[in-house]
Amino acid sequence: MAGLYYLIDCIFDAPSRIMAIILDHLIPIPLKERLLQSRSAIWDTRIQFDQGEWIKIMAASGKGKSTLVHILYHIRFDYEGTVWMENKQSDNINRDQLSELRQKKISIIFQDLRLFPQLSARENIELKRVMQEPFHKSDRIDEMAEQLGIQPVLNQKAGLCSYGEQQRIAIIRALMQPFEWLIMDEPFSHLDTTNTQKAAALIEEECRRRNAGFILTDLDDDTHFPYSRKLNL
Amino acid sequence: MQGWNILLKKIIRTGAGRNRHVLAMAGLAIAVLLILTAVQIQANYRDLLYKKNNRDSIANFLVVNKIITDQNLGTTGLSDNEINDLRKQDFVESVGLLTPSHFKASIQSASDRFPFYTDIAFESVPQEFIDIAARDWKWDEHALFVPIIAPNMFLDFYNFQFSFSQGLPQLTQQVVKMIVFKINLHGPNGMVTLNGRVVGFSDRISSLLVPEAFMKWGNQFFAKKTDRKPSRIIIKTKDPGNPQLSAYLKEQGLSADADKTRFSRYRKIVDMVVNISGLTGIILLLFALLVFTLFIQLTVASSRDDIQLLIILGTSPAQLHRFLVKRFLPGTWGIILLAFLLLGFLQFLIYRILAARGIHISILPDKTTALTAMLIAVTIGWVTSRSIKKYIHFPLNRS
Repeated sequence: MAGLYYLIDCIFDAPSRIMAIILDHLIPIPLKERLLQSRSAIWDTRIQFDQGEWIKIMAASGKGKSTLVHILYHIRFDYEGTVWMENKQSDNINRDQLSELRQKKISIIFQDLRLFPQLSARENIELKRVMQEPFHKSDRIDEMAEQLGIQPVLNQKAGLCSYGEQQRIAIIRALMQPFEWLIMDEPFSHLDTTNTQKAAALIEEECRRRNAGFILTDLDDDTHFPYSRKLNL
Repeated sequence: MQGWNILLKKIIRTGAGRNRHVLAMAGLAIAVLLILTAVQIQANYRDLLYKKNNRDSIANFLVVNKIITDQNLGTTGLSDNEINDLRKQDFVESVGLLTPSHFKASIQSASDRFPFYTDIAFESVPQEFIDIAARDWKWDEHALFVPIIAPNMFLDFYNFQFSFSQGLPQLTQQVVKMIVFKINLHGPNGMVTLNGRVVGFSDRISSLLVPEAFMKWGNQFFAKKTDRKPSRIIIKTKDPGNPQLSAYLKEQGLSADADKTRFSRYRKIVDMVVNISGLTGIILLLFALLVFTLFIQLTVASSRDDIQLLIILGTSPAQLHRFLVKRFLPGTWGIILLAFLLLGFLQFLIYRILAARGIHISILPDKTTALTAMLIAVTIGWVTSRSIKKYIHFPLNRS
């Protein structure tokens, strides 16, 4: 069946096709023993995220939230089971397809942010804007920065910004590109309530603009978004 | 994409190992210059040998005979095998037999006002080896006189030695050509006297030349023996400086005018210079390529984390490759262009120096030199591109 999907995919490789994500009995090898001891809506089961769904994944620390995010973003391959994206197994994606996926289909906000400290906040955001055909005009950077209250630090080196400011820079950076899925790993962990609301509003606006889905992992439940589904990891 | 490149420039630090890079660039410049010089020297030497305006009539014709030793006295004739073998050699274009007169001859003045007498011998050579286009260079039994081509050195000998010792006037070529003298041929049936006149002077063959028809007639009627082996032959060659030619002559116990084969010594020196220069250039180029490869590796290694983050954020290997090639290649190609221009300047200087001495080489570098420069550029491009591709391919499963 997988082969047939792959064949169809090769023949009708339309860039605008809506992308679903399927996790088929996924389990990270290093956490396997620990994770199999408890029930999970994600690990070691088959689950499908349809395009446009807003998914909240909740778990306490050490339950593999970041691991899941890294697997979905194809930077970890130490797992059993299968991840399907665009009807392709993630193992079958080559470097060029992966960069295309990361430029046009999936965007990410890392828990550890992963900014270039030597670049200014604006340059960090601009990098993701111009990496592919720009989705937004450059003015949009200022609008978003204004909205999240980081306009004053835009020209400051990212390494010199506070963690909260860096988190907002990372959020804006993720929203600069086209995407069908936005993956967020504890995106508001260092933001106060007001800033969290502002950031959530901006994310919601941008997801709606693209008709995109998101997968958000966090420690606790929240009402920042009208989630389609809430799952325990 | 201008902004993209500026951002990448800020992220990927190419400043690491700058001194090494400068040294590698200098090494590359010297290497390319040496290689191009080697190629250009070859091209210039080829020009000197084969270009029409450089063709030296002395240089292209060699009179060859056996070296006389105690063992071969009286048997210095060249056999058909020896002549055929010589004909087969790559460096020989054509071979002509020098036919000596097998009869006794003398010349003497026709008038008593300017008395001279000397015993003499003649040689003849096929027409294609004669470099004098004299109208009178023909003979038959009804001819009024026998045309003779004399070596220039005979006249020099007369003008600068003989005339002084005998108290005789010096003579120009024109005056000599006007003098009609008597040629006495001594045969078994007595002596025949003919008129003779010098119709030209040559440097090519150092003997008194007469038309082949006359020689044939003379040898037929006046020679005591017929059908003798030729002792001297003349060969036409593209390059008298060809070391193979000198080696062949030495091996066969033959000798040619040493003055004419002196080019072979120059040729050997030129070959040696070209080889040393080319080899040094190639070794230097290899070292420069190695240093470049290491430099690329160093740059990628020193920005490893940043490059990895760029890839994680979605930068494609092609984008990175394009950026790094653009960073590294223009500099190296610039160096090659610079070396080529410098060589062009040197060629211009050499052209001017040689032109003042009547030697003509091309004012511009040869096309083989330009092709070599392009080949080096393509090689460096390929090595650079390949190294970049190799070093930016981090494993996918890294977080």
